[in-house]
Amino acid sequence: MNLQVEYLKKEKEPMNNSFRQTLTQKAKGFLSLLFCIVFATAGIFFASDALFPQSAGAYPFWAQETAPESPRDSTGRIVCANCHLAEKEAEVKLPLSVAPDSVFEAVVHIPYDTDKQQVLGDGSKGDLNVGAVLMLPEGFKIAPEERMTEEMKEKVGDVFFQPYREGLENVVLVGPLPGKEYQEITFPVLSPDPNENSDVYFGKYPVYLGANRGRGQVYPAGNKSNNAVYNASQAGTITQIADTDFGNDVTIETSDGETIVESIPPGPELIVSKGDQVGRGDPLTNDPNVGGFGQEDSEIVLQSPARIKGLIAFIAAIMLAQVLLVLKKKQVEKVQAVEMNF
Amino acid sequence: MSTLKKPDLSDPKLRAKLAQGMGHNYYGEPAWPNDLLYTFPVVILGTIGLCVGLAVLDPAMVVGEPADPFATPLEILPEWYFYPVFQILRIVPNKLLGIVAMGSIPLGLMLLPFIENVNKFQNPFRRPVATAVFLFGTVVTLWLGIGATYPLEESLTLGLF
Repeated sequence: MNLQVEYLKKEKEPMNNSFRQTLTQKAKGFLSLLFCIVFATAGIFFASDALFPQSAGAYPFWAQETAPESPRDSTGRIVCANCHLAEKEAEVKLPLSVAPDSVFEAVVHIPYDTDKQQVLGDGSKGDLNVGAVLMLPEGFKIAPEERMTEEMKEKVGDVFFQPYREGLENVVLVGPLPGKEYQEITFPVLSPDPNENSDVYFGKYPVYLGANRGRGQVYPAGNKSNNAVYNASQAGTITQIADTDFGNDVTIETSDGETIVESIPPGPELIVSKGDQVGRGDPLTNDPNVGGFGQEDSEIVLQSPARIKGLIAFIAAIMLAQVLLVLKKKQVEKVQAVEMNF
Repeated sequence: MSTLKKPDLSDPKLRAKLAQGMGHNYYGEPAWPNDLLYTFPVVILGTIGLCVGLAVLDPAMVVGEPADPFATPLEILPEWYFYPVFQILRIVPNKLLGIVAMGSIPLGLMLLPFIENVNKFQNPFRRPVATAVFLFGTVVTLWLGIGATYPLEESLTLGLF
């Protein structure tokens, strides 16, 4: 016993030190990486703002920007729903259970009417884009190319799968993709092996899907995109509708003589005309949005093949025992019938 | 065919028991050993097999999230056996009315034996009113329970109409 303790002590010290060293090294690396990401995202953010002042909200980096840790709120809401306000269905099809270190398909369905056109950033009409975020259990990740079969490669196509953030490979983003071709997105997923990775256990895990079609209605800061309904901020009479180069300016005169100018970007169509009375919060435009966001919770079992074999053997043993018991009962009945002395 | 023991009517003990409506275990298939030793283990083993199968194939030990009192989940649904009552609480416009309606369920159930005793028969066909009320209540409960899983607007029509 004492020997063992001493042995453990000897062994523990150097291990601890090296562990600490790697930890600090890792932390340093992580910090510098974090700075890089922050600068890069900030750069992209401002650059894109300058290039496309009303760029489409379908881009997942808004979500990565506002919810850097995880795309799922503690309420269970996927953060995309903060900007994509309309609700539409979405579905993920998963196998019931998967073996460790195997490749399987997670098929995401984003159905919509492909004849529909949405309002683009400049007010013109165009096709809808789709995008999805799939939150797999810890340890699961997108399968590398060499692990996929030819058939699977064909199904997946040339979709680019992007981890939600550095070091979070189990949360995968796709999109924006042209919705006409990608109403069904196949995620090739590689399951982890608990025998090699001690952080992963066999069991049942939740899988969360958020899937979107079309542009969003608000930006993370709360300002509306041109894919939303515009409302009157005050009650009053519409005195002027001026066509600017970029949409319309609607002037509302309130009862106490104040005038308010509502600028409406191109896209939403005006449903009011000059001289109309509007109440506070009444819509001035129609709702141009045809898309929407949907989320679904699903489950997947990381199953050990050894357990299945054990279960089959166990069930076989039980069935054998049951058959033998019934046979024994039949035998006893025969004896009872002969003796008739019970 | 299993072995059946005939009632021995010359046995005065058995006759005395039968006169009191008892003594059924004096005839028919003997419980020991036919049932107790052989049939019961078949059922017990089958149950164990099913439980183990479920535990292996559906190992739901980590599903679900820790409760957070500061974050209400998007979808609030109680356990399935509370669905009908939850639906009542949900569709009634007034909260107080909802609580009264909810509370009247256990109250009604408590009063039921006293009201039912008006009719002395046990046979459901001889108690048409009670049976009709029971069947109607069952249908309404199922309707409310299924409705609880739908969004509020279609919960009364179940999205059918």
